[in-house]
Amino acid sequence: MTITRRTMLTTSAAAMAAYTAGLPGVHAQSNQVVVGTWGGDYGQLLGDLIDKPIMKAKDGVEVLQDVANADPRKTKLIAEKQSRRGTMDIACLSDSDMYLTAQQELYEPVSADRVSRLNAVFPNLQKAYAIPHIYSAQVILYNPNKVNPAPKSFADLWDPKWKGRVGFSDILYTNNTVAAALAGGGGLSNYEPSKKKLMELRSLDVKLYPSNEALAAALKSEEVWLTTMWLARGFMWKKAGIPLEHVVPSEGAPAIVFEASIPKNSRNKDNAFKYLNAMLEPQAQIAFADKMGYVPTVKDASLPPDLAKQINLNDAERARLLQPDYDYAVKNNAAILDFWNKQFKA
Amino acid sequence: MAVLIVPASLLVLGLLVAPMLLMLRISLNQFSPTQMMIEAMSTENYLRAATDPYYQQVLGTTLGIALLCTLLTLMLGFPAAYWLARLESRWKSLVTILTLFPLLVGNVVRSAGWMALLGNDGLINATLLWLGVISTPLKLMYTPQAVVVGIIAVVLPYMILTLASVIESIPRNVEEAAANLGARPGAVFRRVVLPLALPGVAAGSILVFVLCMNTYATAILLGGPQFKMMAPAVYDQFIRANNWPFGAALAFILLAITMLFTVIGSIGIARRYKR
Repeated sequence: MTITRRTMLTTSAAAMAAYTAGLPGVHAQSNQVVVGTWGGDYGQLLGDLIDKPIMKAKDGVEVLQDVANADPRKTKLIAEKQSRRGTMDIACLSDSDMYLTAQQELYEPVSADRVSRLNAVFPNLQKAYAIPHIYSAQVILYNPNKVNPAPKSFADLWDPKWKGRVGFSDILYTNNTVAAALAGGGGLSNYEPSKKKLMELRSLDVKLYPSNEALAAALKSEEVWLTTMWLARGFMWKKAGIPLEHVVPSEGAPAIVFEASIPKNSRNKDNAFKYLNAMLEPQAQIAFADKMGYVPTVKDASLPPDLAKQINLNDAERARLLQPDYDYAVKNNAAILDFWNKQFKA
Repeated sequence: MAVLIVPASLLVLGLLVAPMLLMLRISLNQFSPTQMMIEAMSTENYLRAATDPYYQQVLGTTLGIALLCTLLTLMLGFPAAYWLARLESRWKSLVTILTLFPLLVGNVVRSAGWMALLGNDGLINATLLWLGVISTPLKLMYTPQAVVVGIIAVVLPYMILTLASVIESIPRNVEEAAANLGARPGAVFRRVVLPLALPGVAAGSILVFVLCMNTYATAILLGGPQFKMMAPAVYDQFIRANNWPFGAALAFILLAITMLFTVIGSIGIARRYKR
C-alpha cells in the first residue's frame, strides 16, 4: 500500500479525533486512584492495609498517595473547585474540615448503593458526603506520677494547684476553646463561656506549644502534667513511653471523626468508591486501632479486649461522647482564632 | 539581545505577576464562613488590618525584628566579608563554600537544631545545670532573642557574600594610599572602604531585610505561639481561619511596607554614595 498525502492526512485526522474523543474515557478508566492523605503513620497504614492488599491485589488498581497536611489539602480542594478535572480521587479530612469543604458542594454523595460497607457503619457516624474512617474522643491526659488523685473534669484543669502545669498545643486552638467552653458551662453550640475561662487559665500560667510534638516533648520531660488531647494520640504517646493516663471528662468528650470523600471532579470515581469500601473493611479498621489508637467506625470490627480497654470508651463514657455542632463551629472559627490570638495569647 | 530576557520575563509574568493580581482581586472580596468568600469590591479588609491594634503590633514587631536583624547582620558580616575579600590564599574558595554551608540546610531543620540547643532540656541548659551555674533551666526558647539569633544564622551568608563581592572590587592600593597619607586604620575604614562598599551594603541590607520581613519557620519554631510576625499571621488567616480575603490584604500590606522601606533605604544610601 502506498501512502499518499491524502491518506496520510485522513489517517492522522481520524487518529487525532479518536484520541481526543477517547481522552475523558482514558482518564475515567485509568486504573489508578489518587488518595489525598496525611503522611506518617496514617499514610503508611493506608498503604499497608488498603493500597497493597486490597486495591492492588484484589482489584488491580494502583494507588497513588498525595501526601500533605490537612490545611494544604483543604486549600487545594477549594482552589480546584472550578477545574473540570481535579487532582484527587479521595480526600481524607477530619470531620470539621470535611463539613467546611462540603459546604462548597465539593463532594460526590456517598450511599450504600455505591459503598456497600456503609451498611456496617454505626448510624450516628453516617454522612451524606463522606464515609467515617476512624474516630476518637477529646479527653484529659495527665501524668499519674504528678497528678494524684486523677482529674475528673475539664474544670479541674483550672485548679490553682496545677498553675504552670497545664500545657496546650497552639494548633489545636479550637479543641482547647471547646474544653474551656465545657469547663465554663458552655458546650459545642456555645463557646461564649470559653473566653472567661481561657483568660483565667492564662493567669494560671498555661503553657503553649507550637505543635503537638512540642507538647508531647514537654509532657515527656514533665515540664507540664496536664493537657487535653484525643484519646488516640494519648494512646500513641503512652506507647512511646510518655507517663500518661486518660480521663473522659465529666462534662463530656467531644468526638473527632476522620472521614474520606470523593471530590466531584475526581477522574477515577469507580476506583474511588472501591477505595471507600476498602477503608471500611474490618481487618483494616482493626489494624488502625492497634497502630494508631482510633476506634473502628463499623460494627463488625471487634477489637482484642486488651486493646479495646485502652482506646474504647465504656458504656458510661460513650454516653458522654459529644457530637460537634459543625455549623456553629464553622461560623465561629474565625472569631475563636481572633480571640485566641489577640486576647488569650497577647 | 533584548530577546534574551523573554524567557525570564514570561516566567515572572506567569508565576509571579498573574497570581499576585489574583490575590489582589481576592483581597477586595468579603469573607463568609460558609461560602469562603463573596465577590465584592471593598477596601474593608485593608481598613480592618490598618486600624486593628493587634495587626499594628504584629507589623511593628515584624519591622522591629527585621531592622534589628539587618543591622546586626551588617555589623557581624562586614568584618567577615572584608577578611574573605582580602584573603589571598588557596583556601579562599573553600572558605567561600564554608560561608555558604548554612544555606545547604533548610530553615526548618536549622531551627530544629536551635531548638535542641536552646530548649529547657537543651544542650545549653543541660550544661549549665550540670556545671551548677543555674538551678532551674533558663528560658531561652520561645523568646524574641531566640528568633533574632535564628534569623541572623539564616541570613548572614547572604550579607557576607554580597559584601565580599563588592569589597573585592575596591583596589587594595586605595587603602594603602590612604594609610600612606597618614590615615589610621579606623579612618581608612570610615572614609575609604565603607563609602566605596556602600553599594554592597545597600544590596546586602535590602536582601537581608526582605528575607527577615518574610520570616516564617524561624518565627514559629523559635518564637513560639505567643510571638507573632506578619508571615505567620498571613498563614493563620489563609489556612486556619479560611479567611482568604483578609489574608490576601495582610499579604499586600506586608509587601507594600517591605517595598516602602526598601525604596527609602536605597534612596538614602544612594544619596550618601553621591556625596
